[in-house]
Amino acid sequence: MPKPAPVERLLHGGRRARASVACALALVGIALLVLEIGPARAQIKLLPPEQAFRFSARALDARTIEANFTVADGYYLYRDKLRFSAATPAVTVGTFELPAGKVKEDQFFGKVETYRDRLVVRLPLENATAGQAVTVRADSQGCADVGVCYPPNIQSVTVTVPQPGAPSGPLIDASPPKKRWFN
Amino acid sequence: MSMNKESSRPSPRPRWVVYALSALIALALGIYAFRLLPEPAPGSRDSGLVLAVSLPDVDGHPQSLSQWRGRLLVVNFWATWCAPCREEMPMFVRAQAAHGAKGLQFVGIAVDDAVKVRQFAKEIGLNYPALIGGYGAMEMSKTLGNSVMALPFTIVIGPKGNVVLTQLGPVREAQLERLVADFL
Repeated sequence: MPKPAPVERLLHGGRRARASVACALALVGIALLVLEIGPARAQIKLLPPEQAFRFSARALDARTIEANFTVADGYYLYRDKLRFSAATPAVTVGTFELPAGKVKEDQFFGKVETYRDRLVVRLPLENATAGQAVTVRADSQGCADVGVCYPPNIQSVTVTVPQPGAPSGPLIDASPPKKRWFN
Repeated sequence: MSMNKESSRPSPRPRWVVYALSALIALALGIYAFRLLPEPAPGSRDSGLVLAVSLPDVDGHPQSLSQWRGRLLVVNFWATWCAPCREEMPMFVRAQAAHGAKGLQFVGIAVDDAVKVRQFAKEIGLNYPALIGGYGAMEMSKTLGNSVMALPFTIVIGPKGNVVLTQLGPVREAQLERLVADFL
């Protein structure tokens, strides 16, 4: 007698085979629910500022820090409200250049420049030594397109200055994204 | 032979599979139900927290929100650096002028300093009290339901003292008209 096809085995197979199919289907269902494939809540969900405007930084070498902002979709940062400084004694951030932002005509503030998506700024570091832990502080302010603004926000990242000739340090998040199982 | 014998005998009910499946389905339903639950209803918040607030006005005189008890009280958290706040306030000024005599009372709590507030109040002809909350007002708004601490944030207390609206983001004119029609 020819061996039955796998599908046929499942359909006409024993209780054990059907139980395993049911189990697999239930697991898929659970995965879909947990992964939020389903009806979304009607309310507008706003992110807390540290998640809407995620600051991270890394030390490229003893004299340069790379500062990054990852701006969530639907949010923007004001260019003229952005400040970077060192919060480690004796260490300072020198003069740096911010890239041009997207020009927005604001009813009240006139022409303002904003950043969306991603912003990378190279900060010159003064008086830092190899191996030193340096804390970089970012002051920022931004809004969401739905019509709310966040107050000025301060985020900090501590990076270790690499030894001369060593590769640049890892990118460190000011507030790593949290796993959100329930919403 | 032995194979035939095994297949003809009813296999023992895999009880652990049934239990495990039931537990997993219950868990999934629980997660699903949790996600469908609405945010805490605005009415469930205690208006006593709002009415207990006392803050200085632009001239430095303390003002307690309880003095407007019994009116349709619209408490609006705002700041001069917040464009959407500045945008909605002229509409509040119009509504205050139109319905103030009927019992509508706006109060602005500024997450800002008095100098900037005074200047902006003059610019738009503010006709309702502006209280100075500074950044502490942001924390205060959090206890009233502004979990992400963004602006504008508005909480409306009905004449009977119950919270009838809590809103993050601009209030629409139609919403205000509806509140006036329902409560005044």
